Amino acid sequence: MKNLIQNILFFTLLSITNAVALIEIDITEGNREPLPIAITNFFYDDVDAVILSEISNNLSDVVEADLERCGLFDPINEEAFIQKNAAMHLRPRFEDWRLIKSQALVTGKLKIVDGDKLRVEFRLWDTLAEKELEALVLITTLDNWRRISHMISDKVYERLTGEKGYFDTRILYVSESGPKNQRIKKLAIMDQDGENHRHLTSGKELVLTPRFNPTKQEITYLSYFKNLPRVYLLNIETGNQEVVGDFPGMTFAPRFSPDGNKIIMSLAKDGNSDIYVMDLKSRVVTRLTNNPAIDTSPSYSPDGKKITFNSDRGGSQQIYVMDNDGRNQKRISNEGGNYATPVWSPRGDLIAFTKNFKGNYAIGVMRTNGEGERLLTENWYQEAPSWSPNGRVLIFYRETAANEDGQGHSSTLWSIDLTGFNEREIETPQDGSDPAWSNLLQ
Amino acid sequence: MQFSIIISLLLHTGFIILTVMGLPIFNNQKIDIPPIVQVEILEITEQTNVPEVSKREIEEKEDSEKKKEDVKINQPVLKPKLEKSDEKVKDPAADEEIIKPEVVEKKSVVNMPIRKPVIKKKDNFDPLKIAELIDMAKDTKPTQDVKDEEYESLDSTDTLVNKLTLSEEDAIRSQFLRCWSIPIGMPEDDSLVVKVKISLRPDGSLMKPPEVTDHQRMNKPSQKYFKVLAESALRAVRRCDPIKTPAVERYDDWKELQLNFDPRDILR
Repeated sequence: MKNLIQNILFFTLLSITNAVALIEIDITEGNREPLPIAITNFFYDDVDAVILSEISNNLSDVVEADLERCGLFDPINEEAFIQKNAAMHLRPRFEDWRLIKSQALVTGKLKIVDGDKLRVEFRLWDTLAEKELEALVLITTLDNWRRISHMISDKVYERLTGEKGYFDTRILYVSESGPKNQRIKKLAIMDQDGENHRHLTSGKELVLTPRFNPTKQEITYLSYFKNLPRVYLLNIETGNQEVVGDFPGMTFAPRFSPDGNKIIMSLAKDGNSDIYVMDLKSRVVTRLTNNPAIDTSPSYSPDGKKITFNSDRGGSQQIYVMDNDGRNQKRISNEGGNYATPVWSPRGDLIAFTKNFKGNYAIGVMRTNGEGERLLTENWYQEAPSWSPNGRVLIFYRETAANEDGQGHSSTLWSIDLTGFNEREIETPQDGSDPAWSNLLQ
Repeated sequence: MQFSIIISLLLHTGFIILTVMGLPIFNNQKIDIPPIVQVEILEITEQTNVPEVSKREIEEKEDSEKKKEDVKINQPVLKPKLEKSDEKVKDPAADEEIIKPEVVEKKSVVNMPIRKPVIKKKDNFDPLKIAELIDMAKDTKPTQDVKDEEYESLDSTDTLVNKLTLSEEDAIRSQFLRCWSIPIGMPEDDSLVVKVKISLRPDGSLMKPPEVTDHQRMNKPSQKYFKVLAESALRAVRRCDPIKTPAVERYDDWKELQLNFDPRDILR
């Protein structure tokens, strides 16, 4: 009898647990392939066909190229589309898109308004959940379709990755030509996809290390005036240029603080290189480090509270971090080898660097406390990483060795994902070095 | 006298030490057994207690007994049932005694191959005993149903240890390798785990739309990454629809599942 009661109790308890317990399965692996996405040509009314047919084609091509290049998306070939674009401004037939394995779908509609304005309506769909993820209307001038395309790419990217995009951005770099010992270096700027390329300086003076102001279309760069390094400020939109000052012994141009009001730089005074900060309004310069070693290439954290820089005070070139007033200087690189050009990620979580070890140069990242060092790419010579504004991609330049005659030397721009995948050359009309990535355009 | 006591003590002590040293439990200084082993044990339990199987076996056994009986005795139908029910029908004292072995048998099934009970019953099969049992047939008839019910309830209680085997879990998990396009652009974040509840039909297709358990978090403006991850998980579930599931006999075990989409290792 006792046994019976015990049994009943036991089974009752078990059945209660059963009612509550739900089998859990941990899914910790998935497919890392780029997300298949379909980008359709945007629909337009027949009355606008003459003007809009080309824009419609170009626009979807640019979006497709943007998304493909970032490595996170796999645009599906248009020929595979089952549903043609005639009715694409309406609700898509999702089963048609699922059939071609598309997980996301971009559709849109173009219209001419007010005589000469372009109205772009764009929608992003989740073909599996059969729902609209994003819808947006943009109105602009007709010749501005390329920027609109990049903005659409950014929206798609942001909605499907959670990160801000980086397609509506520009890349500033030093365009190089001529033999190694007689290089002509001009400042150049282009869209992140290589379009709208133009030179900003004539090439009479050597230019070095251009940097973007994170808050406006303004840059600093280093040039030589009467063989003395001089720092310039240049407004890209207006072309206005001003001299910040002559800085003997300077090798890198200053970088801006995140609010754009200060510039931070390394200056050599009395043969000793230290870190200084200059307020752009008052032009007051404050010294942050005071060390007999060479302190150089400082870069702010995105909140402006910390600064990372490079120093050989420990015997070899290493990466250090300090507060923005110069206190709490601490070495963070510890893995052996020489480190240079530290740059704080706009996302704040990582510091990118160039590392020289075993005769090779690597571009890598580490956490801001020095842990988790990862080398993304190694090569004979490469340096000067610069972050995309969302902190996911690095752009840098890579050189090949010249032969005995001084020929065969080349310098090219490359980008690589934070994951170490998706390494791509960024094509430029001539050789390129010292790239800098702008923030998203306003 | 004293000498012999000392000798006796020494020998006894020696004997005790030898026994103690020899006992496996004292030698078994195992390393901590990882929890996985326990899960394994549970799975086996689960498999061996699949209700349909045990019933089928009983039926098989019944059939075989029927056949044998057909040959030997002219009372085929009731015997096997009798064998079962007879244990039950006896007076309370005997009843308990006989039920116990069956319970024990059940339990032993837990960790043993499925065939075991069958063999045991076969061993028990004894024409003489059958003859005895036949006499009981009439009495046992009414309780037959009760017995069956109990059998069923026993079976279902066994499955209450609600687990899939590791390989069954793996089989489900592996389908998501293909279906889940991980949003690899995300930053590392330890709080990024999306729990999705799914309800399945017996054919493994979705009975209703998958559901993110922490649905509210998806709509918080500060939780963009969570939202993206949750959406990718929901897409994965729909892409994998219908899911290849464990045996349909165990539908109750897997008709509702919680999938924890955890990209932390991947993003690290």
